Amino acid sequence: MDAKTRDDLLQLFQSKLNRAMTYYLETCTRCGVCTTACHVYQSMPQAKYIAAYRAEIVRRIYKKYFKGQGKVWPSYGEAKELTEMALEELYEAAYSCTGCRRCMVYCPFGIDTQMIMSIAKLLLVGAHAEPEILTLLADTSIEKGKSIEFFKEGFLQGVKNLEQQVVEKWKLEAEGKTVIPVDVEGADLLYVALAGAHSIIPAAAVFNAAGENWTLSFFEAVNFGAFVGDPTKTKLILDRIVNEAKRLKVKEVCICECGTAYRVMKQLSGKQPFEVSSVTEVHARYIREGRIKLDKSRFQGPVTYHDPCQIARNGGILEEPRYILQHLTDDYREMAPDPRYNYCCGGGGGLVALGEETLDFRMKSARVKAEQVQKTGAAILATACENCHTQLENLNHHYKLGMNVQFLTSMVADALVI
Amino acid sequence: MSNAIQADKVMDLKGLPCPMPVVKVSKGIKEVEVGQILEAQTTDPGSLTDFPAWARTSGNEIVDTIQENGVIRIFIKRNV
Amino acid sequence: MHTIYYLVLVPMVYAAFAVFIVGSIVRMIKILRTPKHPTTLQIFPKKEPAWLHALSDTFLMPTVLKHNPLLWVFLVLFHGAVLLLVIGHLELFSDFALFQIIPHEVFIGKGLVGLTAAVSLLYFLFRRFTSPVRDISVAEDYYLLILLFLTVIFGSEMDWARRWYDYDVMGVDAYRTYLWSLITFQPQVPDEILFSGHSFMLVLHVFFANIFLMVFPFSKIMHTFFALPVNKLRRG
Repeated sequence: MDAKTRDDLLQLFQSKLNRAMTYYLETCTRCGVCTTACHVYQSMPQAKYIAAYRAEIVRRIYKKYFKGQGKVWPSYGEAKELTEMALEELYEAAYSCTGCRRCMVYCPFGIDTQMIMSIAKLLLVGAHAEPEILTLLADTSIEKGKSIEFFKEGFLQGVKNLEQQVVEKWKLEAEGKTVIPVDVEGADLLYVALAGAHSIIPAAAVFNAAGENWTLSFFEAVNFGAFVGDPTKTKLILDRIVNEAKRLKVKEVCICECGTAYRVMKQLSGKQPFEVSSVTEVHARYIREGRIKLDKSRFQGPVTYHDPCQIARNGGILEEPRYILQHLTDDYREMAPDPRYNYCCGGGGGLVALGEETLDFRMKSARVKAEQVQKTGAAILATACENCHTQLENLNHHYKLGMNVQFLTSMVADALVI
Repeated sequence: MSNAIQADKVMDLKGLPCPMPVVKVSKGIKEVEVGQILEAQTTDPGSLTDFPAWARTSGNEIVDTIQENGVIRIFIKRNV
Repeated sequence: MHTIYYLVLVPMVYAAFAVFIVGSIVRMIKILRTPKHPTTLQIFPKKEPAWLHALSDTFLMPTVLKHNPLLWVFLVLFHGAVLLLVIGHLELFSDFALFQIIPHEVFIGKGLVGLTAAVSLLYFLFRRFTSPVRDISVAEDYYLLILLFLTVIFGSEMDWARRWYDYDVMGVDAYRTYLWSLITFQPQVPDEILFSGHSFMLVLHVFFANIFLMVFPFSKIMHTFFALPVNKLRRG
């Protein structure tokens, strides 16, 4: 690595060193309490999968360039130079961490490994050593934001085609009413879905059944900038939706079943004239207010729920999915350990988006998740995140769990009493 | 159907979870020669904005889009 | 030889405290001047009041108790012992009514406090020689434990000698003279301290303690100051 590249990378490193990050880098005593926190370590007990070990890979570079000891006495903290090899280590550490923050529950100080890994991810972006596909996806999202007028017509036509499916399936009255409204100024709620029809159709059914004054966003909720750890791109992708919400003057932005999208929008959008909610919260509200009714007999067999880390432990949506499930089944089985200690599905941090490339690792590293799910004895495994759903579906197949993996929104839509 | 562009490779991406359609197309485009056409079939309306945006980002070109019977057929010419 | 003793007992002590105090303050100020993180870093479910839970997380270490009870026992013993040792050293300046609520003879703890600290340190050290803690340890972790162990063991030996073997040449009065002279910047080392048979223990104790103080602001021991604010981040 030449001096110029290194300097540029160290500039990026410096940009991450805010107060919280400095605390996280300075405080770890390597006590080892986090050892068994990581699902990857539990499934494959190797030192490199211990949270403190991952963090130390970043910390060693920090000691080398940002602390006196790295210059005076580098061997004291085993400070490490930033080299091509160090980048490889950073890659392995960052992309075997799903950012679930389970280790944070174990740590006596509450050190956030996901945040430390964000330094690793940013350095990889700076060195053009990140997973290319994630950057491509992020750039695609940004491009979409820039030239939405150009794509609008096609999208509207595509949405029209979906409307018919909604009307047919739920026998909704459609005369003179738009089943999937788009670009409606003054709507109360802006629903931000994913590209897939499965993320739009059931949600539309529920919104219409509840008589919501809603509108569908042009943009997909997911933020690939966050997955790849590029703060600039994360912000650009986020701003597309924020700007759309402001333009339409909506009161509420409702994020579909996507963990990253929810956490980024909820926690990173700052103070805005609209509220941010997850579709799970909104559905729970409809039930509570009696705006929708669900048929309990629609789903047979015991049901369990996988808490998506970014929505539950890191986003605070814990009660709502359980409240919804009370209205869907009489046989709800909580996973053990409880949501605070819930295992990551093994697909977070961009791993699922990397597709088959990471499949082998995802299956091996999430063995404990598969076991946790199996122990519930449930027939239906519900979740509220696209990423988790894909990964759980893969686990279901790989470990032959024989479960029916469901989106919670789809279950709500299917059980609607119209 | 008959007036559709003749594709050199067809990919069925119907019902795939996010973000697999774009991921698969980025891989699939490498399997046709520069100048050849890849046809992606999907049911997701998001693809109608995702694919053009992806094409611009990756330097490829959408030459035609057909929506029929709920299926969206997107024809992509490999340019790079 | 006595020149070396004097150098360790007077100029080096001043240097050590200067580095410790200035170093810690400068580092804290530097960190407090960096920008805050723009978003919340808490984990859920959130419990109110957050500050109370952050205090409990910091001082009671419930997560350690849950996941590694044996380590928790030693951590509590060790940190408790350190607190008592600090009190013990303050009492080597003069009597504090506050500390005498439970009447005791200076040095507090009948020699058991130092023993507890030393044993805990050995536990911390030896657990670092076994996987998986060994795999995440760096040189610093061993250096600091060894340094602390040496400091504690030489310090305690003097206490043990007085209490358990009736060695009475170096007593509390001698320490008080010496420490008061240091704090009033009129350094003077009484003969009992400089020329007695146990002087080398005191000199070694002070020497290792000086090094520890000088390393403190630049090492992971800063968790002393960071533990509370960092725990507060988790609680929101």
